[in-house]
Amino acid sequence: MTPPASPLPPRKLDPFAAVLSYLVPGLGQIYQGRIGKGVLFLVCLYTLFFYGMYLGHGENVYLPDSNTKQNVLVSWKPLGDIENRPHFAGQFWIGMAAWPAILQYSRYDENDNSPILKGWMRAPKEDELNKLQRDGDKRWDLGWVYTVIAGVLNILVIYDALAGPAHREALKKTPAGKEPVAA
Amino acid sequence: MSVGLPFAVSIYWHLPVLLVVVSLVYSATRYDQWNMIFYEAARWGFRMFLFLGAIGIVLFLLSTYL
Repeated sequence: MTPPASPLPPRKLDPFAAVLSYLVPGLGQIYQGRIGKGVLFLVCLYTLFFYGMYLGHGENVYLPDSNTKQNVLVSWKPLGDIENRPHFAGQFWIGMAAWPAILQYSRYDENDNSPILKGWMRAPKEDELNKLQRDGDKRWDLGWVYTVIAGVLNILVIYDALAGPAHREALKKTPAGKEPVAA
Repeated sequence: MSVGLPFAVSIYWHLPVLLVVVSLVYSATRYDQWNMIFYEAARWGFRMFLFLGAIGIVLFLLSTYL
């Protein structure tokens, strides 16, 4: 007869791995030695994020420098701008891949004709946005949904790096005086 | 069947990417063992396919016959 499983001791939190997984999805798991899972997270989340950007013609991950005076919740920047573009609150969690949007936001100048990074993740002009949404076939919208889901999924990945998976292997009960082992 | 249907349906061809990635990543955050990850991913993927498929069919019927 199989001995009953004993409860696992609490797992030690790993904030450094969590930070790594925020920066690059799966990097924290790779650092912890869970290389296969880390690579799975990296490939899956970057595929989803950049596929979403591809669907949106590279113009759906950005933080606009908007007029926040009439906002309902927050009027001070940059939170007011996030209220006006809440998509970025999800996209932000993909990590370094979304940082160009923050850089573009911090250096935004409407009259700048040669923006840094060739305008990568720069807030598009209103007429460009209108054109994308009016003349497109909804792929632009589907694209930003993909990028937001990729960012939000990375929150789960960060938590996995911090505290481990939700379900862990049960330990077999061993005779007194001996360390329990994974089943 | 309307002329615009193939155009309208084409956007749904992008959904399998979402379904596969969400199932795999969610399952991998719940388990460390590969067999459990793939088993859970298949289970969640199938559930999501049924859920999204049902919504898709309802929307299709509403837009076609209503």
